[in-house]
Amino acid sequence: MKRVLRIGLLLPMLILTACATNSATKAPDADLSKLKTFYVVRLPEDTRGIEKLISARLVTMGHQSTSGDAPKPDAPVDAIVTYQDHWMWDITMYMIKLDIQIRDGTSGAVLAKGEVRRPSLQRKAAEGMVEETLGVIFK
Amino acid sequence: MTAATRYLALACALAVAALLGGCAAPATSVGMTAVPTKPVHPIGGDVSVAVSGGSQTSSTGGSQISDEAFAQALRDSIQQSGLFAKVSPSGARYQLTAFIGEVDQPVVGFSMTVKMDVNYKLVDAQSGATVWSKVIDSQYTARPGDAFAGVKRLRLANEGAARDNIQQAIGAMAALKL
Repeated sequence: MKRVLRIGLLLPMLILTACATNSATKAPDADLSKLKTFYVVRLPEDTRGIEKLISARLVTMGHQSTSGDAPKPDAPVDAIVTYQDHWMWDITMYMIKLDIQIRDGTSGAVLAKGEVRRPSLQRKAAEGMVEETLGVIFK
Repeated sequence: MTAATRYLALACALAVAALLGGCAAPATSVGMTAVPTKPVHPIGGDVSVAVSGGSQTSSTGGSQISDEAFAQALRDSIQQSGLFAKVSPSGARYQLTAFIGEVDQPVVGFSMTVKMDVNYKLVDAQSGATVWSKVIDSQYTARPGDAFAGVKRLRLANEGAARDNIQQAIGAMAALKL
């Protein structure tokens, strides 16, 4: 009976601690190397300032970037960045998934997108999730 | 065995059953196919369809929309609507490309809302001109009444959002004067 209990407890743990994954896709005719200026739109539900982390990371990567609440910036930019952060609780809150879309600054069409999913045992700080997601998009 | 141990064993068995019984299934082309609600103005000529930007469903992740399933749904929807004379695998007069841009899905929830946007582009292969391009947004909410299992609700929400997106795309193309 104890063996059955152990297996019963271990199996859900095994399933819930799935592997971390990341992926990115570009639109067929997208050329991200031409993008120099970015504007990150804050997700209305976001109270953690993820838009500032994304903007700061883009600056670190050598781009010009600003962020804000408005859906479009005051001055034209090459690309508008949108995102969706998903959080879960396991002892503490952690970001389980981050999606980022790089959109054409004029049409709003998605040029490229990336996604990182990290379960609890492989969690990263929000800065790390942003760095990994932008990393796979601009790889 | 004490009563507490029995309850624990039962809880473990239920947890395993719930997890194993809840493997994610991908969005199906049938579920994403838009049923024509009114006759459309036919464009004439044939069309080929290519889709990118979709994702494959893994057994441990959530339900996703694959390129293949979305392309099949788009082909079937176009055929059912009569918008083009024929859907050809390649070499058609018109080439319709769709890039699945954003698919915003909840990780958990009772009512599950999926939002998506798709960039469509229709090119006249004879002239090489882009005759239509548009980013179409759609969303769909699946509620517990639609499906008890969360993985199924997410699939239904995916399919609903994709179906609405395709419906809008066909409506927009039907308004073209080609």
